[in-house]
Amino acid sequence: MTLYASVRHGLAVTGGRAVLGVVRWRDTFRRPRAHPHLAPPLRSGVRLKELIARHYLKGRTASSAVPVAWVTSGAPVEPLVALGYHVHYPENHGAICGIRRVAEDLCTAAESAGWSRDLCSYARTDLGVVLTGRTPVGRLPRPDLLVCCTNICQTVLGWYQVLAERFGVPMALVDTPFLYGTAPPHALTYVERQIEVLVEAAERAAGRTLDPGRLHAVTRRSKDACTLWREVVDRARHRPSPITAFDTFVHMAPIVEMRGEACTVDYYAALLEELDGRVARGEGALLEEQVRLAWDNLPIWPRMRWLSDRLAARGAALVASPYARAWGELADLIDPERPVASAARVYLHPILNLGIGQRLAALRALARDCQVDGVLLHSDRSCRPWSSGQADIRDRLVREDKIPALLLEADHSDPRAFSEAQASARIDAFLEGLGA
Amino acid sequence: MTVAAIGVDAGSTTLKVAALDAAGTLLWSRLEPASPRTAEQATALLAACASEAGPGKGAPIVATGYGRDLVLGAVRRVTEITCHARGVFAQVGGACTVLDLGGQDTKVLALGASGRVLDFAMNDRCAAGTGRFLEVTAARLGLSLEAFDAAATAAHHEAVISSTCTVFAESEMVSLLARGTPVEAIAAGLHRAMARRVAALARQVGIRPPILASGGVALSGSVRRALSRELDQDVGLPRHAQLLGAVGAALVGLDPSSPGPIRVAGRPRPV
Amino acid sequence: MLPVHHPRALWRAHGYLPVEVWGPPGTDATPAGAHLQPFLCSIPRCGLAFHLAGGLRDVDVVVVPHACDALQGLGSILTDLPPRPLPALTPYLPRATGEVAVAFLAAEIATLSTRLAEGSQRGPTADDLLAAALDEEAADAAFRALLDARPRISLSNAAFYEAVRSREYLPPAEFRAVAEVALAATGPVDGIPVLLSGIVPEPAGLLACLDRHGVRVVADDTACVGRRRYAPGTSTEPFRRMAEALGSGPPDTTRGSPLSERVAYVVALAAQTGARAALLAIPGSCDPELFALPVLRQALEAAGVRTLHLETDLSMPFTAQADTRVEALLESLP
Repeated sequence: MTLYASVRHGLAVTGGRAVLGVVRWRDTFRRPRAHPHLAPPLRSGVRLKELIARHYLKGRTASSAVPVAWVTSGAPVEPLVALGYHVHYPENHGAICGIRRVAEDLCTAAESAGWSRDLCSYARTDLGVVLTGRTPVGRLPRPDLLVCCTNICQTVLGWYQVLAERFGVPMALVDTPFLYGTAPPHALTYVERQIEVLVEAAERAAGRTLDPGRLHAVTRRSKDACTLWREVVDRARHRPSPITAFDTFVHMAPIVEMRGEACTVDYYAALLEELDGRVARGEGALLEEQVRLAWDNLPIWPRMRWLSDRLAARGAALVASPYARAWGELADLIDPERPVASAARVYLHPILNLGIGQRLAALRALARDCQVDGVLLHSDRSCRPWSSGQADIRDRLVREDKIPALLLEADHSDPRAFSEAQASARIDAFLEGLGA
Repeated sequence: MTVAAIGVDAGSTTLKVAALDAAGTLLWSRLEPASPRTAEQATALLAACASEAGPGKGAPIVATGYGRDLVLGAVRRVTEITCHARGVFAQVGGACTVLDLGGQDTKVLALGASGRVLDFAMNDRCAAGTGRFLEVTAARLGLSLEAFDAAATAAHHEAVISSTCTVFAESEMVSLLARGTPVEAIAAGLHRAMARRVAALARQVGIRPPILASGGVALSGSVRRALSRELDQDVGLPRHAQLLGAVGAALVGLDPSSPGPIRVAGRPRPV
Repeated sequence: MLPVHHPRALWRAHGYLPVEVWGPPGTDATPAGAHLQPFLCSIPRCGLAFHLAGGLRDVDVVVVPHACDALQGLGSILTDLPPRPLPALTPYLPRATGEVAVAFLAAEIATLSTRLAEGSQRGPTADDLLAAALDEEAADAAFRALLDARPRISLSNAAFYEAVRSREYLPPAEFRAVAEVALAATGPVDGIPVLLSGIVPEPAGLLACLDRHGVRVVADDTACVGRRRYAPGTSTEPFRRMAEALGSGPPDTTRGSPLSERVAYVVALAAQTGARAALLAIPGSCDPELFALPVLRQALEAAGVRTLHLETDLSMPFTAQADTRVEALLESLP
């Protein structure tokens, strides 16, 4: 950490905050363009934009000013936040590249360097960024530490090993045994030991010692934010739903990449208040909600608006998804009094680390809670752990629960694996079947 | 001049025969759509060669292409990769990149200064980036390949086709047509999509200029233009582009050991 | 037994006959399409299709070790929503290293043992388990000796792999007898020396193709063969001993070995055996292998070893295009 970098980082962050504050103030008074089928966007969106912009702005000058870690989306991040790390999430950044439609170019760069098109498009996007230095957020900070947690997939392991090789920095691994059933005690011990090793590695790379008081506070804020987020996604129980799954895909950014920070807790408290206002007034996210749908797997980032418009035009509200719910449902397991031991349990249990029986149960619970009329299952070429088993899940939903369900072939970031004509034909036919 | 070596390229789409004299000049050649009976077709063409170009006593026959094992009388069987490399190198005489655009396969070859194949890549699994992609999509537009080429050339703008998968591109095309996009723009977009796939393959191998395109698909001006745009440099067309596999095979027959350039005496007869 | 690593001694001690299924190759994977999307790896798709076609009729239990996301999906389907009932065991293979991983794996093996004992009423004693572990270690020693002697063994690739891969189903003593016969087959050897890497030397046409073109596989780094050169364990506690052995093999992507270690190992292996080229036979969409691939290729090429990536699909025959690639590689060797 150099003095020059620290001063530059401080100035950039302070200056940036001021500018972004003004932008937010201006946007607050902007009247959004009226949509024929959707309610005006959530006002919290303005603040969300500011938070994300601030996060990436901080990243631009973070190198050498503060310790930097690149982490997987399901990694135990609380010790890093408590140690003052700037935490970069390549998966979230991959989603941004997908939304901004630059993922294809970046994937192509990685493919040209020999990485197969069969690999996850987040990974290819990230490798493309590393190879070319191109990113829609200006500049990414160089990592001092990589933290790879296998609770979302094994894909991240191969990916982060390449990053470790490329950057020549240590990679801390938190390997979380996949839970075909309940977690055996030796799995909990195994993960807990690795989190302890992660803390040591993070302390070494940062050159400072973890303050237990800070870890306690950060873990508490994680718990609070997760609890609030759970409430936010839970508002989809109401009819009409004040929030769509598309909204949650966007508004989940802070719970993933700013977990443990105070601003995240405040943000979700405000968002919840706004949603409760909508509920009280009987306002839905759609002007006219006719049918309610659930979504399985990651979104199709580059076609999210297209899909949202297509569904809304037919009065179909996509109200919930296990994907967005995942960041809230473990809130009760987080225990600030036992931050490491409880983290072992929490980070072993995200939905992607559970068997498909549990995934089916989660979809059923969601379908019941949110009274959905049908389920769209995104068969995502890039997220193979989540896509495996979807055919059987669909079959059970249709046969045993009598919930119509559609398997939709696409990719979360790579637009080349998506056929608009094919998708629209399937979606339209599905909605016609639902009477929408 | 007498025939000194004969090359037979039994490809997936066409069968080609080329006869060279000792100096490497092309004396005789023939190209036919591939018949399912490769052995008989090759034998018939070799007979035609003998009667039209002269018997060429003792001239070795070298076979290449997918059907290379079925060519009777061949003294050597060599892959089309080596043959296209030889064929192009005889004209270039230095390091270069060869895009061999065939009916079912697209290959990218990186040649070193001495003509050796340093590395190569081939399209995987699907027809994306091969002649088949253009054939299928042109047929869907109701165009012959020549008309398809002309349509792409005449386009004022290019429709965006993101899928390089043949099936997906076809359905993308259908929706573009449904939106009233002009056929020319779609044709240009399809050429671009194919070029993107070939360029990706080329970048994997690493590009050493100059770039030359061989194989039947290389004859299309629109394909070469789209490739030039995608790769940001000229993509040249060697002489006898579609015959180069057979010519290369015959060159192997002339000199099995060296990949070095053959001195070409006189102007080769236009094919 | 599905790929890759599993404690052979445990199944033997419980009186089971472990037979490995790598695919099996040549299975029509179409019936599996109702459960696993075609973009998933062909090994679990073939395995499931084989099961659906009744191939596992006489099997008491199927073991799906957690080697990757694809096998995870298969294991989970067989556990939770089996299309055809069949008891499934799904041991997790730790990707961490060191004591923490050995302790976890030992506990995981102990859990498996408890599950197996539930089925068979009478479980093996600690002595039985240790004896089984020692038997397997003796067979592992023969396996290592066979691989080390490959450059001097005059068998064709197909014959050599038939011998070495009989470790996948033969009891330890019988395998040692096979290995001894193969080891005796020394004689004049020829052919272009190559290193074979990837997951499994399949489909069958692959080895035939190499034999046809005069290629001699002198070094093996496939997950199926070379990466299972287990060293003996040291502990006297049987589960721990089995765990030590399983974690002792060469760097392997399915065990999460660091990339730098693996690259260094493969480059050294090529140098030791004088391999002029490396063939990387990787099933399509195999994440663990495909991430490492560009880095590994670059390192091998830098060391003067030409590389060829062959994308394989176990549900398909070895293609003419793949054959052409191998031949073209050989033609272009300096």
